[in-house]
Amino acid sequence: MTSQLQRQGSAAAVQGTGYTGDQGLPRLRRAPSSQSYQNGPQFNWSPASAGREKAEEGAVEPPKSLRSLPIPMALKRAICQVQQMHVPVLSSLQSWKRSKAKSLSRVRSYIGGFLNYITLWRKSLNKIGGNFGGGVQSYFLFLRFLVVLNFLSFMLIAGFVLIPSIVFRSVASGPMNITGPAECLQYDPNPQGLVKFHNYFLDLLTGTGFMESSYLFYGYYNNTMVAGSDFSYNIPLAYLFTAIFYFAFCLLCITARMGTAFRVAVATGGGAIGSYSRIVFTGWDFGCLGDRAMKLKQKNIIYQLQVDLEEERIKNKAATLTLGQKIFLYSLRIFLSLVAFGLIIAAFFSIFAATNFSQGKTGEVGVLGLFFEYLPSIVITAGNFVVPLLCDQIALLERYDPSITVIVALLRSVFLRMVSLSVLLFTLWNQITCKQRVSAEDCTLCHYNYKSYPCWETRVGQEMYKLALFDLIITIAMLVLVEFPRRMVVDGSSSKLAQWVGRQEFQVPANVLGLVYGQTVVWTGALFCPLLPVINTLKFVIVFYCKKITLFYNCRPATKTFRSTWATAFFLLVLLFGWSLGLLVLIYSMAQIHPSMSCGPFRSLISMWTIVPNSFYNLSQTSQDFLFYLGSQRFSIPLFLFFSVVMCYFIALASVHGKSVNLLKTQLKLEARDKQFLVKQIEELSRTLGVAR
Amino acid sequence: MGNKQTIFTDEQLDAYQDCTYFTRKEILRLHGRYHELAPHLVPMDYTKEPDCKLPLALIVNMPELNENPFRNRIVESFSEDGLGNLSFNDFVDMFSVLSETASRELKAIYAFKIYDFNVDNFLCKEDLEKTLNRLTKEELTSEEVQLVCEKTIEEADLDGDHKLSYADFENMITRAPDFLSTFHIRI
Repeated sequence: MTSQLQRQGSAAAVQGTGYTGDQGLPRLRRAPSSQSYQNGPQFNWSPASAGREKAEEGAVEPPKSLRSLPIPMALKRAICQVQQMHVPVLSSLQSWKRSKAKSLSRVRSYIGGFLNYITLWRKSLNKIGGNFGGGVQSYFLFLRFLVVLNFLSFMLIAGFVLIPSIVFRSVASGPMNITGPAECLQYDPNPQGLVKFHNYFLDLLTGTGFMESSYLFYGYYNNTMVAGSDFSYNIPLAYLFTAIFYFAFCLLCITARMGTAFRVAVATGGGAIGSYSRIVFTGWDFGCLGDRAMKLKQKNIIYQLQVDLEEERIKNKAATLTLGQKIFLYSLRIFLSLVAFGLIIAAFFSIFAATNFSQGKTGEVGVLGLFFEYLPSIVITAGNFVVPLLCDQIALLERYDPSITVIVALLRSVFLRMVSLSVLLFTLWNQITCKQRVSAEDCTLCHYNYKSYPCWETRVGQEMYKLALFDLIITIAMLVLVEFPRRMVVDGSSSKLAQWVGRQEFQVPANVLGLVYGQTVVWTGALFCPLLPVINTLKFVIVFYCKKITLFYNCRPATKTFRSTWATAFFLLVLLFGWSLGLLVLIYSMAQIHPSMSCGPFRSLISMWTIVPNSFYNLSQTSQDFLFYLGSQRFSIPLFLFFSVVMCYFIALASVHGKSVNLLKTQLKLEARDKQFLVKQIEELSRTLGVAR
Repeated sequence: MGNKQTIFTDEQLDAYQDCTYFTRKEILRLHGRYHELAPHLVPMDYTKEPDCKLPLALIVNMPELNENPFRNRIVESFSEDGLGNLSFNDFVDMFSVLSETASRELKAIYAFKIYDFNVDNFLCKEDLEKTLNRLTKEELTSEEVQLVCEKTIEEADLDGDHKLSYADFENMITRAPDFLSTFHIRI
């Protein structure tokens, strides 16, 4: 009843407080009306001023912003009709523009609906978000992003490298006049003699044998340069440029996505709201369906509130520590940080030793040989599993705040995973370029260790392939051997221990780091194993379904919801670290190490990059001059200055926006205080007037 | 479907499309849902704008709403008489505000209305207590409820009057990143 009166009352207030709707810039509120319910949401009734607001933006369609008006539907439709009657006399050009804009927006909404329909896994993601919340959903969104990225990269590689290689393999032959010592040119990956059947399976897992002489690895590609009358295709150049463009493309996608994530994080003011308000007002997911989901959600909310109250009590207690206790706490933290650091160093040494050992033991056959081949992957995975577990326990002992504990554990895991991969690569590099051994005679002949690595790029590609495959095997094995049995035990037995262990929770940070690690492996290996992106696409699709199954069957909803805004940005940042590691490997392999003389598209060159200058001089004179000009100082310095100016502009814009947000916030506070002051003044005044009368 | 629908005129559908966040197909689907709540009361032909309202009891039985602890408040906030009787216009309005693409400000306004149990345009402590009790099905002790309400007001109150006005609420909700995704009913 009162709401109806309020609506009628607001209808009478034509000069109400202007309501801003969903237009971009924040606008100051005009002077509040003298209505008693000033604190309620208000809106501007008059279509004229509403039309004026829209005309300011140059919008050609008045009805669009009707959607965001908080008035009943019947009144909205009345306004719509009134506005249509109010249509001013337009010239034919303007009316044509308006009708075109209308149909364009209709087309856009249809396309938007269509894209929404064909979006990959849309229903599954909605279901996951509804049942487990935004944090878990952000993991699956990240996974979907990586699947699409890998698939598009594969399209790129297939189009420019794979298909031309297949087509031109039989057609042309490149310059075969490779000069070099005969020993360097010996390379025959095909298995000799009669091959046992089980060797095929082993070869599938290790990338040797029949897998090695296939388009999967670098070694199989030839340095064919087709030159027809009006068509020429230079496979080595295409290979190089595709690799470079692949990295640039990935960087573009990641930064675009990071831009949206940071924009959301900045728009919410950076500092999140207090946890209690968040739980009370946004804790309940209105889209939650199903009786069981509802009950779980309620338990979740109760648990969160109790945890927050408990944290509050702990914080109050911690603030009252004496000096002696504080010193003890800080020294404990320093000691435990050193312990964690020591654990990580120990992991690195074991990876180093395992890689050396494994490289020394190539050539073994059978299951033992398989074990030796996979030793680096096994050690890395074991390290990635054990060390973060121990680091988590250490972080608990350090008695930080719970949110800081999560960040510290995350940073340590990231450090461990990224650097363990680089240790593996460093070890491989050492062996390929003989940096380790005292006698470097193995490398003087061919500029690389031709005895152990007749085709070193393929070997590196095989290592990356094994890492990727092992990651997948471990994921599936964990699902089958650990997660399902755990749930069966917990659900089946009623012992105290089982209840204490409980069903597992879906750990978002650990899983996301697993994805980042997998993607980094692909980036470091893409130059040497061009089909790795498509293998990774399939692997991530399998991982999606495995994780979805484990989520719905084995996990309970998280007790501490993972905040998804800063998390998305953080994961993309970590992905960028992985990307830069891949880029480092790419640059170093292209520029420094001598390509194998016996295999691959760069076999006749002293470094991979030299194909570019070589082909450069085959271009026409004008192209050469143009490219020289682009590289000269006359062009690059103004370009650099221009980009610096653009960057300064954006930084200034961002800081201005931040400052204006703060200004508006303080203004809001001050206005509320002013209101209270004025109300008190009015009361006093009316009292004195009443007394005086 | 090739046959022309006769539930709404084209102008009506255009008006609905402009006034809500739905497409024509979704509006027709909503009419179907509205109709199946009370097939004898709701006419199939809306071209003459029939004046038909469904009571609160029927609306809150919808599967999307019947487990929601705030279902009564939601329906009341969107009804014109404040008692929960929804015409089709109000019905569409409700789901439009709760849809995925509705603007944050619009959702904030209606969220404020929903949580304001005594309809005085302020979220006072009693409103928060009622909200919390609905959320937790009264499984927290009253002392915990008091503590949480106090802390909530403390966090969000800007002008120091120990209750939340719309300005306080809006300021707080803009910093809540999950608000858009939780204040959303899929229909």
